[in-house]
Amino acid sequence: MLLSATCWLAADSAFAQDAQPLKVLRTTLRTAETGFDPQRINDLYSTDIAWQIFEPVLDYDYLARPVKLVPGVAQAVPLAEQDGRVYTFHITPGIYFADDPAFKGKKRELVARDLEYALKRLLDPSLNAPYSWLVENRIVGLDAFVAAAKRTGKYDYDVPVAGLQLLDRYTLKISLTKPDYNFLYIFAMPQTAPVAREVIEAYADDTMAHPVGTGPFRLTEWVRKSKIVLERNPNYRGAKLDTRYADLHNEWDREVIASIGGKRLPILDRIEIYPIEEEQPRFLSFMNNQTDIHDETSPVYMNQVAPNNVLAPSLVKRGIRAFREVEPELTYDEFNMEDPIVGGYDTQHVALRRAMVLGHRRDQEVQIIRNNRAMVAESPIPPGVVGYDPTYTARDQDYDAQRAKALLDMFGYVDRDGDGYREQPDGSPLTINYLLPTGMQYTKLAALWVKSMNAIGIRLTVSQEQFADLLRDQQVGKFMLTGAAWIADYPDAQNFLQLLYGPYTGSSNRARFKLPAYDLAYQQSLTMPDSPERNALYREMSRLVLAYAPWRLGVHRSYTHLVHHWVHGYDRHPIAHTRFLYLDVDIDARQAVQGR
Amino acid sequence: MSLSQFLLRRILQALPTLLGVMLLVFVLFNWVGGDPAYILAGKISDPARIASIRQQLGVDQPYWVQFWIFIKQVCTFNFGRSWSTSELVSDILLSRVGPTLTVMIPVLILETLLAVLFAVLVAYVRGSLTDRMVMMSCTVAMSISFLVYIIVGQWLFGFKLGWFPVQGWSDSVITNLVHYAPLPIFLTVLVELAPSLRLYRSFVLDEMNHDYVRTARAKGLSEHAVMLKHVLRNAAIPILTNLGIALPGLFVGSFLIEVFFSIPGLGREVVESVNRSDFPVIKATTVYLAILTMLINLLVDVMYRWVDPRVTFK
Repeated sequence: MLLSATCWLAADSAFAQDAQPLKVLRTTLRTAETGFDPQRINDLYSTDIAWQIFEPVLDYDYLARPVKLVPGVAQAVPLAEQDGRVYTFHITPGIYFADDPAFKGKKRELVARDLEYALKRLLDPSLNAPYSWLVENRIVGLDAFVAAAKRTGKYDYDVPVAGLQLLDRYTLKISLTKPDYNFLYIFAMPQTAPVAREVIEAYADDTMAHPVGTGPFRLTEWVRKSKIVLERNPNYRGAKLDTRYADLHNEWDREVIASIGGKRLPILDRIEIYPIEEEQPRFLSFMNNQTDIHDETSPVYMNQVAPNNVLAPSLVKRGIRAFREVEPELTYDEFNMEDPIVGGYDTQHVALRRAMVLGHRRDQEVQIIRNNRAMVAESPIPPGVVGYDPTYTARDQDYDAQRAKALLDMFGYVDRDGDGYREQPDGSPLTINYLLPTGMQYTKLAALWVKSMNAIGIRLTVSQEQFADLLRDQQVGKFMLTGAAWIADYPDAQNFLQLLYGPYTGSSNRARFKLPAYDLAYQQSLTMPDSPERNALYREMSRLVLAYAPWRLGVHRSYTHLVHHWVHGYDRHPIAHTRFLYLDVDIDARQAVQGR
Repeated sequence: MSLSQFLLRRILQALPTLLGVMLLVFVLFNWVGGDPAYILAGKISDPARIASIRQQLGVDQPYWVQFWIFIKQVCTFNFGRSWSTSELVSDILLSRVGPTLTVMIPVLILETLLAVLFAVLVAYVRGSLTDRMVMMSCTVAMSISFLVYIIVGQWLFGFKLGWFPVQGWSDSVITNLVHYAPLPIFLTVLVELAPSLRLYRSFVLDEMNHDYVRTARAKGLSEHAVMLKHVLRNAAIPILTNLGIALPGLFVGSFLIEVFFSIPGLGREVVESVNRSDFPVIKATTVYLAILTMLINLLVDVMYRWVDPRVTFK
């Protein structure tokens, strides 16, 4: 017995020596997640997690900048047929979903019907999918199908839709109601990722907690708002880094190629994600080596992390690397174009808005409020998206109080009663209300607006509301001036320019801007592929925005992401953010530091 | 009045109170709670979509219908699913109470023991330098914000000295109690000790001035017996009342502690539910807490009699 026990211990010890330690990566989320059902997710952070579990039919190349669409589970990126009206997706055979009891012990292959199901599901009235707008009014017969279902009260997924044609087990042909050359981008979003109908039906109301995809990882543990554990999906077919679009002058790209190039991906066995809303514990847990990656360092810590924009020597000594980027996003303040005081398209009201834009100290917003971690926006199109023109400048949005005052004087906005504030040209009071959410950062932005307007003689009051109330008031047009921000859903200028498209008033166009010239240019741009002609239209739309000033353009925020030296393969993607598929962790290096 | 009659009367009295709480939370939510449909609708929505979501949530129903549904939910203890995460409300509450109690029960025990011990000690040496120093420290401690304790404590003990993890939580109660909870417990006790100590000191001092204490001393009882057998026993009634008031707070915990130390507790959940206008979670938490408060008050009243046999049920 003693002998057998000794043999067993020896064997166990030998096994322990041979066994590789699990590669576990630990990271955080800035905001608590809500769930991982691709068609039901609403927030950015849940989307980022779902992206590790589900595979959209198209993907973004990890290293290409500007970003580039590549096949995901599709065999190739479809070509636009019939002038951008038809796209045919060929799903790669032999891709399997992660195992799940819903499959009753059988391997479940991904097929074109799963994509068709996901697209129909986005418009299922019982789901009220937050991203239904991706397919609404775009696919032939789909909206009629939804309308009929609403009438009958039955949403039958088996009823065929003319615009979603299954040609064979692996092929789906999608026909659009009108040409759309940006249509493919939505197929690189997790919201359109194929899902297995039997899983969705098995978990019914609880699909947010049971994500079953074909991606490199699967959810194995979830303590809501506290801990998310992803583990390698054994059914994942594996991937390799594509280095064709790498920039060899970029140190991050070089590091990625050197560390994971040629290896079978994913390398990580397990990822532990901790949602931590407060900045201090999130930052300190990274500094304490409790976590490996620290995304989006708060401006509060930037002086500590990178005084004078140079990584602090103490961090350099520890081997911490800082990845900096300007995200494809935009902050802006929008005027209500239907408001009798600040709205309107006549020269008098345009002059008032342009004067306010000129009088607003955006320079101080960047320097003081954003701690120089932002880039002023010259147009509605941020860097990193197709259509962005780095040479485009907008001097009419730069601070110039003298011009602002002269413009106001010229159009009769003068102080008639000597109280220090200007009245309207007809002598009636001029008071403009600025609507914002509650919160310290917004209070600072509001204070800057008040100070700026006081300096040019405009009385500005501030209202701060709960987020739900703010969204309601913005949507129904119950505001004069309000703050907003937009993060790119996909990397094309159209995603930003649609925010001012007239027919979207009451929906995404919260400024209620309706300018025929703008709308015409927007409609034309949709029918054109990426080309100098389309860029000229984007430029014209930007010019109209500056001329009529429905928006005061804000900034493109820049972010610093920190990674410890034992993390390899990191290269944050502007749209897909952190992709665990490409990361590796040097466990020995981490243990050496933690053991000190 | 017998104990059973007393209990029955108090339970009947609790019903209108509960109805009042329900009415209050219902009015407050509909008045200042914000329309959840606008949050759930996503980045791009339109009036039709908002109307569809409102219909799905039932917030388009007349108020009396919505309130009737609320009453049925309370009677069946079934509050449905969270509007923001689709999780069953009962699952949310059950899973969040454990972490909250893991922190708050040790806090209550430690804080009570320390506060009573120090209160008796400083009351005994009333007016001395020690008493003054302790009272002054309490005043200073009370004037500092809880947030400052957390931020400084987390930085100093978690990061700088590395005695505790900066944040985190585990599935194991033992790991939590040994590894993750000590710093949050220590900081919470530090904050709550000062006001309790001052209050309990005044209770003890009040008792020390009574004639029965003088009589006990005149009879030659030791100071030890006077303080512990007579003074502390009589001071226990207001202390018990104070603990009774604090007990329901155990279940909602401290929002700040839970947020800063990533503890998946009920306090954090309630605040996030308010931010997301997640009415089912708000309703369930409020109702359960109201019931709990009433039950604990009842328990404290019954315990009065156990502590002081002169107390009768009326």
